[in-house]
Amino acid sequence: MKHAIEPENDPRTTAVIDATLHHVGSVTPSSGLEGRVLTRLASERVRMEAAPSTGLPFFRRTKLAVRGRLPVQALGLVTGCLLAFVVVAGSVMHSRRLHTNQLVAPPALVLPAHGIGAASAVHPVAPASAPVPASQAARGRSARHTGRARIAPHARKAPGVAVPAPPSNHTSPDSQN
Amino acid sequence: MSCFEGQLASWVAPACETTVDTSRTIAALVAEYSTALYRVAFSVTRNAAEAEDAVQETFLRVLRHESRLGEIRDYRVWLVRIVWNIVLDKKRRAKTRPEGEDIADHARALPSSDLAADAAVISSQRHARILALIDRLPARERQALLLSAIEELSTAEIASVLGTTESSIRSRIFRARRELAVLLEKEGIQR
Repeated sequence: MKHAIEPENDPRTTAVIDATLHHVGSVTPSSGLEGRVLTRLASERVRMEAAPSTGLPFFRRTKLAVRGRLPVQALGLVTGCLLAFVVVAGSVMHSRRLHTNQLVAPPALVLPAHGIGAASAVHPVAPASAPVPASQAARGRSARHTGRARIAPHARKAPGVAVPAPPSNHTSPDSQN
Repeated sequence: MSCFEGQLASWVAPACETTVDTSRTIAALVAEYSTALYRVAFSVTRNAAEAEDAVQETFLRVLRHESRLGEIRDYRVWLVRIVWNIVLDKKRRAKTRPEGEDIADHARALPSSDLAADAAVISSQRHARILALIDRLPARERQALLLSAIEELSTAEIASVLGTTESSIRSRIFRARRELAVLLEKEGIQR
């Protein structure tokens, strides 16, 4: 069976909910709450001031450690600067010491007794004092034969081809070698 | 006095003055908001001692972060958010419903002149049963409903504490009341 009035619209239900919420929202603390809170805060402040500060003695002496933040930040800044200085100075000093005391020489080049290159070192040959002429066989064909090409008198020729007679003082190429 | 010492003195003097100022500010915050914070804490813990512990813990956190006091725009929302997180953390750690919830805590909250002693006890028992039903609501709806019970908090402030919008808070409260009414109907508590 369906309700005539939805539960959320029932005035009695609404009144009960409102009364409970009002009860929760109007609860009163026991008397003296503010005083107890202030007393606790005062004791906590004393404890915080009595606790050793994490800052440097300089900052403790100058009472800049009131918040406890400035000494930590300053300590971090000073430490960072010192580290950077040490790194830079050490690097510079190290490089200067290398340049002045330890001059690095290139690896020594050992030349062979005869010749200059690697091939001469493997096959030592006495250096020539004068140009050596190449032999006839070592020369090119164009250097061995001069003048026009010659045809032997008894060579077979195509019909109609006339062969001039060789000069009388000319020697056969075959007789040269 | 050297230039450096003069500069140092100009740094130290405002710091000392600021300490005095923050002490006064915190004392004023305690005087103005401790009751509201107690109500917020009590709505979750349902225990007077735990609610007072939560209020004290709230102001201890304020003391530890007193350097940020100048940055706070709305002290009420800021403090309610702190105490709200504290009581939720405690409840999460306990992982149980409030163990110390008792009738005496509820009876203490009632005005003594309005009801007779037996009527006050009966009323407190009924409130305790309804609060138990509220605890069965989904977390979002339950939190919005409990904070809406604190008269000092507006819908906008509740939205700021819970990190949502006003319209969302209104709809959560509406759903919470509707579901609670259904639960009350089933339990027959209002009769």
